[in-house]
Amino acid sequence: MKNFLLDYTLKVRLPILIFTVLAVFVITYYVSYAERNGVGYGPVQPIAYSHKLHAGTMKIDCRYCHTDVDKSRHANIPSASVCMNCHTIARKDKPEIIKLTDYYTKGIPIEWNRVHRIPDFAYFDHSVHVNKGIDCSNCHGNVAEMDVVSQVKDFTMKACLDCHRNPEANIRNIIPGKEDVKINNGPTNCGSCHR
Amino acid sequence: MPSNETTDRKIMDKKVIDISGEIVNPDNLKEESRENNNTDPNYWRSFRELHNDPEFMKLKAREFADGALDKPDLNDMSRFSRRKFLALLSASAAVAATGCSNYRNQGLLVPYNKKPEEISVGLPTYYASTCNGCEYACGVLIKTIEGRPIKVDGNPDHPVSKGKICAIGQASVMNLYDPERLKNPVERPDKINSNEIQWGVADEKIISQLKAAASSGKEIAIISNTINSPTLKKALDDFKTVYPTAKVYSFELFDESTRRSAWEKSYGNQNLPIVQLDKAKVILALESDFLGNEGNKIENSMMYVKNRDAYKGEFNRLYSVEGNATITGMNADYRIVLRTDAIEEFVYALMIEIIGREKISGFSTDSTAMSRLQKHDMTNFIAKYGISKTAVDHLISDLKKNQGASYVLAGSALPESTHIAVNLLNEALGNNALHSKDQSRISLVPLSPKSEWEALISSMKGGRVGAVIHLDSNPAFVLPSDYRYTEALKGVPLVISLSEQINESTAVSNFVLPINSMFESWGDYQTRNTFLSLQQPVIAPLYDTRQKEEIILAWNSGSKDSYNKDIYRNYLQANWRTTVLAAQNTDMLFNTAWNAGLNDGVVRVTTTSSAGTADVPATQQVFKPEAFVATSTLMTAGSNFVLLLTQNGNLGDGRFANNGWLQELPKPLSRVVWDNYAAISVQSAKALGLESSDLVKITSSAGALEIPVFIQPGVAEGVIAVQLGYGRSECGIVGKDVGFNANSLVSKGAKLSPWLYDNVTVEKLGGMHEIVSTVEHYNIEEPLLKDIQFRRHIIQEGTYLQYKADPDFLRKKHGDNEYESINKQYEHTGTKWGMAIDLNKCIGCGECVIACNVENNIPIVGKDQVQKNREMQWMRIDRYYSGTPEDPKTSFQPMLCQHCDFAPCENVCPVAATTHSADGINGMAYNRCVGTRYCSNNCPYKVRRFNYYNFRDRFRDSIQQEESFSLMANPEVTVRSRGVMEKCTFCLQRIMEERAHAIKDNRQVIGSNVKTACQESCVTSAIVFGDSNAKESELHKLIHSDLSYTVLDEIKVKPNITYIAKLRNVYETENTEAKH
Repeated sequence: MKNFLLDYTLKVRLPILIFTVLAVFVITYYVSYAERNGVGYGPVQPIAYSHKLHAGTMKIDCRYCHTDVDKSRHANIPSASVCMNCHTIARKDKPEIIKLTDYYTKGIPIEWNRVHRIPDFAYFDHSVHVNKGIDCSNCHGNVAEMDVVSQVKDFTMKACLDCHRNPEANIRNIIPGKEDVKINNGPTNCGSCHR
Repeated sequence: MPSNETTDRKIMDKKVIDISGEIVNPDNLKEESRENNNTDPNYWRSFRELHNDPEFMKLKAREFADGALDKPDLNDMSRFSRRKFLALLSASAAVAATGCSNYRNQGLLVPYNKKPEEISVGLPTYYASTCNGCEYACGVLIKTIEGRPIKVDGNPDHPVSKGKICAIGQASVMNLYDPERLKNPVERPDKINSNEIQWGVADEKIISQLKAAASSGKEIAIISNTINSPTLKKALDDFKTVYPTAKVYSFELFDESTRRSAWEKSYGNQNLPIVQLDKAKVILALESDFLGNEGNKIENSMMYVKNRDAYKGEFNRLYSVEGNATITGMNADYRIVLRTDAIEEFVYALMIEIIGREKISGFSTDSTAMSRLQKHDMTNFIAKYGISKTAVDHLISDLKKNQGASYVLAGSALPESTHIAVNLLNEALGNNALHSKDQSRISLVPLSPKSEWEALISSMKGGRVGAVIHLDSNPAFVLPSDYRYTEALKGVPLVISLSEQINESTAVSNFVLPINSMFESWGDYQTRNTFLSLQQPVIAPLYDTRQKEEIILAWNSGSKDSYNKDIYRNYLQANWRTTVLAAQNTDMLFNTAWNAGLNDGVVRVTTTSSAGTADVPATQQVFKPEAFVATSTLMTAGSNFVLLLTQNGNLGDGRFANNGWLQELPKPLSRVVWDNYAAISVQSAKALGLESSDLVKITSSAGALEIPVFIQPGVAEGVIAVQLGYGRSECGIVGKDVGFNANSLVSKGAKLSPWLYDNVTVEKLGGMHEIVSTVEHYNIEEPLLKDIQFRRHIIQEGTYLQYKADPDFLRKKHGDNEYESINKQYEHTGTKWGMAIDLNKCIGCGECVIACNVENNIPIVGKDQVQKNREMQWMRIDRYYSGTPEDPKTSFQPMLCQHCDFAPCENVCPVAATTHSADGINGMAYNRCVGTRYCSNNCPYKVRRFNYYNFRDRFRDSIQQEESFSLMANPEVTVRSRGVMEKCTFCLQRIMEERAHAIKDNRQVIGSNVKTACQESCVTSAIVFGDSNAKESELHKLIHSDLSYTVLDEIKVKPNITYIAKLRNVYETENTEAKH
C-alpha cells in the first residue's frame, strides 16, 4: 500500500506537477513577453497629438520638432513654443489646440507619457545613429502611420546587439540623402553603452 | 601515525577525546599541530619565520588592512530590514498579480514650455566666469547641462590662470549644491534664537538701524576678505556716502604683509612685482611653498614647469632651504633641511659669500652693511647646522653664474628682516631683470593694517560701533584670537552676517542673510593692470538668496522696495560704461564689448583703471641699501622649537570646510585626510618619545593648542608645522569639528610674523587622536619595504646630466626584460587609447584627483572608511620616499587604472563584468558586476575601488542623498551603488562624445580631441591623453621617447599608461636609485 502510493506519486503526480509548473511558466513568459518589453504600449497622451497627421499627411520632417536628434544623445520632445509656431494661427479653434494654447499661455510644461525607454544604465545616443543615416523608423516603427504612438520594436539589449552585429540584415530604412554613408558593424563592447 | 590521524579528524567535532579518554580543547590541539608543522626543518623561508617572530607571522597573515574584512555593521547598513524587504516583495508580487494585464509605466517626458535657445537637452553649454574662492580670481569655464552647473575648469583665455584652476575651484560645484547652505534670511534678536523672515522685513529693519547708527555718529564697520572687485568697491564707496560713519576693513588669514612691508622699506612702495619664474634658470626657495600653498600657485607652478621638460630646452634648477616639508622642497633638486629660524642667518652667510667674497653687486654697498655681515660665515654655518657643503657650494656657484637669471624666493612666513635681506640679495644678483615689465599687480583695497583693527576692536568695546557687517567673511574664526573679536562684538547692537553657510560669525549675529554662490552671481574682478575678468550667473539662485552686492545696493537706496533681481547687473553695467568700457560710448558698441567680455570672461585694458593703486613700473623701482643697514636681525636660531603655521591648500582659510571632496583629498606629502596635525621631525619625535597620532600641547607666546603629531620625514629637527583652517566649530555637518583650530596660535603682535614663532614648547600629553593617512606610515628604514619603488622599477629616475650624456641610460640600466608575455598580442588596428604622465612635470599636488571626483560622480566616504582603505577616488598620487627619514628624497607618481592590454582583472571576473574593448579600454559594466572583488585582488596596481556601502547613504546622515546633491551628478556617468566594483574609465563619456562628433562630421576619431578630466585639470600639463596609434600625436612621441617606461613591466600585462622618468637636475651623475 505504502509502496503503491509512493509509486503513484513519483510516476504520475510529480511529472504532472512539473509539467504544469513548466507549462505555466513557459506560456506566461511568452504571452507576457511583449508587455514586459513594452511592445504595443501606447498610452493616452494629455493632448491627442497625431503623428499620422503631422508626419504622415503633412509630411513634416521629424527634425522640425525633434531638433536635437542629430546633435545630442536625446531626441528632444519639442517644447510647447514649437507647436505654437503654427498653432497660433492654424486650427486655433479646435479643442485640442485650445488645450495646447492653454498650456502655452499659462507656462505649464506638458507632461507627456513616455513610450520608449531603455534603462538608466544604458547610454543610447540618437545623434550617432541618425548621422549614420539610420532612419527613425528602424527602431520606432512607422510613426507616420500612428495616430497614437506606441512601441513596435523590442528595446532589449538583444535587439541592440542584433543590429550592431549585423546591421545589413536589420536596418531597412536609410534617411534620404545619407545612402552613401557606410554603416559598419556597431561597437559591441560593454563600454559603448554602459559607463 | 594512526593516533594523529584520529585526532586530526576529530578536531572537526565539538568534543575531542584524547587517547587517554580525556576531553581536550580543540583550539589547543590546533595550536599544537601548527607548531609541529613549523618545527619541520625543511620548510622555512626566513629566520624570522623559523623563529616564529610574532611580527612576521602577523605580516604574513595579513592581506587586507585592519578592518577591511570586518562584517558590515548592521547599524551602518541601510535601514531597509530583511523583514521589510520580504513584506515589500510580497506586496509588489500582489500588485503585479492584480495589475499584470498592464504595461510598465515608463514615466513622464516633460519638455520645456519655451525652450531657451542655447539649451539642447543632453548637450553641455559652457560659460566663462570667475572663481572667487580666493583673492587671485582665476578665470573659469563652467560646464552646465540643462541649466545645471556640473563641472568647473579653467578658462584658457584668462591671461594668468591660462585654463587651469586649483582643487578648491574644481570642487566648488559642491559648495553650490551643498544642502546645508543658508536658504532664508534669519533674524536672531537675542543672537540665540532664530526666526525666518522675509527679505523686505530684514531690509527695512536693517536700513532703519543703519540710519540710526549713522545719524548718532556711531561707526558702521564692514568686514570683508580681500576686495578685488572694482564695482563692489564702488558699491561700498556709495555705502559710505549714504552712511557716512561706515568704514571698510579687510583681512586675510594669509597675506603677504611681511613681504609687502619689507618691499616698502627696500623700494619705497608696496608694488610687489610679478616674478617671471619661467625665465629663471636657478630658483632658491627659502621656506617658500610657491608650488603648494603660497601666492598664486597656479601661475607659479605653470611657470616653474615650463623649464622642466626633458625634451624641450634646458632644465631649471630648484634649491630649497626649509624647515617644514613642503611639495616645493620635495620637488627641489637640492633640498637643504634647516630650522626655519636659522634661515635668516643662512641668507647673511650667503650674502657674505656672494657680495662679500665674490664681489658681485650691481650697486655700491654701504660698508656698515657689510660690517654687519662680517660676523657671518658660510663655513661656520655649515658646520653648525650640519648641512650639505656640496649643495651650498653648488648654490653659490649657480647664483654667481646665473646673475639676472636666478631668483631667491622668501616664504611669506619669514619676518620682514629676512625679506629685506633677500631683496638685497636679488638686487645684487641683478635678478630684478625677472620682474615683469608689462604686468603689475593691482590691489584695489589694501588689507587693513593691525592698527586699524585694534582701533576697531577698542571702538567696539567702547560702544562706539553701531553696526558690524560681515561681508562674506568670517572674522570670528580667522582674526587672530588675541583680538578677542567675539567678546568685543558683544558691545555692538547690530551684527549682520552675509554668508553662504553658517559659520562662527553667523553664530554671533542678529541678522544672517544668505548670499548667492559664485554660480549665481554677477561680478567683476581686477588683480592685474592689464585685464579685468567678469563673473556671470549660470543658474538662478537655488534658494531665497541674494548676492552680497545686491544687498549692499538695496541698503544704499535706503528703501526696502528698491530691490529687483537685476539691480546689481544694471549697476555693474553702468559702472563699466563709465570706466572700463568708457570708450564704447554708444549702446551698440557697449553691448558688443560687454557681450564679448562675457563670452571670453576677460576684458583686456591698456591703461590702469583709476581704482587701482598707482603703478610704479618695475624698471623704476630703485633699491635703497640703507633699508638693509637700518634693519636689525629679527630671527636668530635658538634651541627651542620653532612653530610654523602654514596655509592649507585644501580648505583655504577654513571657508571650504564643509566640502567633503576637499576634506578627503590627501595632503600631498603625508597623504593625511580629514585632519590637520603638527608635523614633527623624526629626531624630535624620538627625543620626545612621540608616535604619530599622539597628542601634544604646543605653547607659544600667542597661546596653546592640543593637537596630534604626525612624524613627517624631511622636517628639520626642532621645527613643528601646523596647518591653519581646520577645527571649525560652527559649520555644516561635514566640516564641523574636523581637525584642530590652530588659529589660537596666531597672534596679532607676533615678533617675527603671524605665522612663525620661536621659543615654542612642545610637551607630550597622554592621549591620542587617530590620524588617517592613505599611505601606510611605514618606517622607511624597514628592510622589507625600503626603496621598494626602485627595486621593483616602479619609480625610475636619473639625473639630467646622465640623460644628456646618454639619452638611453635608463633602458641600459634597467635592461629590456627578456621574458616574453605568455599572451598573444591583439592587434589594435584603429584607435588605441593611452596616456603618458611626465613625472618631471608632476609636482604631486593632487588637483587631478578632485577633477576626477567631480567628473565621475565619486562619493565622499568619510575618515573611518579611509582608515579601512575604502576611499573611492579613482586616482591617487603615490608618494615614495627614499634616502633617510631625516632628509628623504620624494617621488610622486599618479596612479590610476593602467588599462593593461592583458588586464589580469578581466581573466578572473566570473561574470565578465570587466572586459576589454577593441580600442584598448578596460571597461567596467556596473550592472553586470556581482561584487566578488576577484578583479581587485588580481590587480597588480591596486586601482580598483569597491562600494562596500552605498557611501552616499552612509556618510554623515546621508547628506549625499539630499536632492540638491543629485543635481550635481554628471548625467553621462552612472551613479554606482553598493556592491559593485569601479575604477578609472579613461573618461569613457568624453571618448564617446568625441566619437559622436566624429560620426557627425563624417571623419575618424582624433585622439587628441579627447581630454580626460585629470588631464584638463593638471596645472603643469603633466598628463597627455590620446590615441597611441596616431603616429604624429604628442602621445605617440612621448610613449616612444627615451625616458618612457611602464610600471611593473616585468609582469607583462602591457599597461597603456606610460610614465616619463623623472630627472633631477643635480651635478652628481648618479642618483640614489643607482645604489640599488
